[in-house]
Amino acid sequence: MRKRSVLLFVLLLAFWTVLVGAVNWQLTLVGAFVALLTVWFWQDLGPRMPRLPSAWGLLRLGYALVLMVGWVIQANFTVAKTLLFSRPSAKPIFLLMEPNLRTNWGRVLFATCITITPGSVTVDVDPETGRFIVHALNHETGIDLLYWRLIDEIIYLENALADWTTLEAGEGDRHGMATGGPDRLGTSGSVAGHHRPYGS
Amino acid sequence: MVKVLANLCFLGSFLAFGLGTLGLFRFPDSYTRLHAVSMGDTLGVGLLGLGLMLLSPNWLLRLKLGAILLLFWLINPTMSHLVAKAGLLHGVKPVADTSVRKG
Repeated sequence: MRKRSVLLFVLLLAFWTVLVGAVNWQLTLVGAFVALLTVWFWQDLGPRMPRLPSAWGLLRLGYALVLMVGWVIQANFTVAKTLLFSRPSAKPIFLLMEPNLRTNWGRVLFATCITITPGSVTVDVDPETGRFIVHALNHETGIDLLYWRLIDEIIYLENALADWTTLEAGEGDRHGMATGGPDRLGTSGSVAGHHRPYGS
Repeated sequence: MVKVLANLCFLGSFLAFGLGTLGLFRFPDSYTRLHAVSMGDTLGVGLLGLGLMLLSPNWLLRLKLGAILLLFWLINPTMSHLVAKAGLLHGVKPVADTSVRKG
């Protein structure tokens, strides 16, 4: 807990220093004060934050993010092609999927990656069932999501860093995670969560 | 050479934003328009940031641009998600031939 607070303080102070672009005692003092205030303000969040990952975990996360850059660029071209050459311009689909992600940080990471990739937007995540409602621009994009290699990367991270998180799945609704409310798509029940990497 | 690369980045960014804007007119409903806008928000902003980094006179400025890009790419998907979710919860209808599939 203390280690995390110190790390957060150092990161905030470094961010402040980069933003102000100068190092002198007055600016550093103000930055340290603001960073300290922020750390104090967020200390209640501490027990619900992931533990510090190992160096290997960070490397693996970095690898997944590098893969993401490639997928985002590829998705941009796919959406551009749909936009320019498809008639009608889109055949959208609401996809309900349950990837086997156990932790809330894994689900948030996956939801963010889906949304940042053009052609798919995470509309809702149910923290109790782990069900995602995703809007995709066309069927192919939706099907690709089911077999996205990123799911396996995140599952690998979850397994490798099993003690990384202190917040287990299912507690999100009590901790302010966005929840679904009424089922607006008129569907309910469990959804099979099979997935496999591309090409397998 | 650096200027040529930067200009290529700006051109790519312009194209991404242009296509995104075109998508706002061509795509049929709010949900699909989010996909069009996300082209500008990812590739457009990324190439713009890369071009500016190439032209930056010092590393501090490049670090700041990197921080801005990082924050942008963290905040942007969250906002897109909120817009889509608000639309669904408030009954914004998708285009008629939208299908629902359990995966």
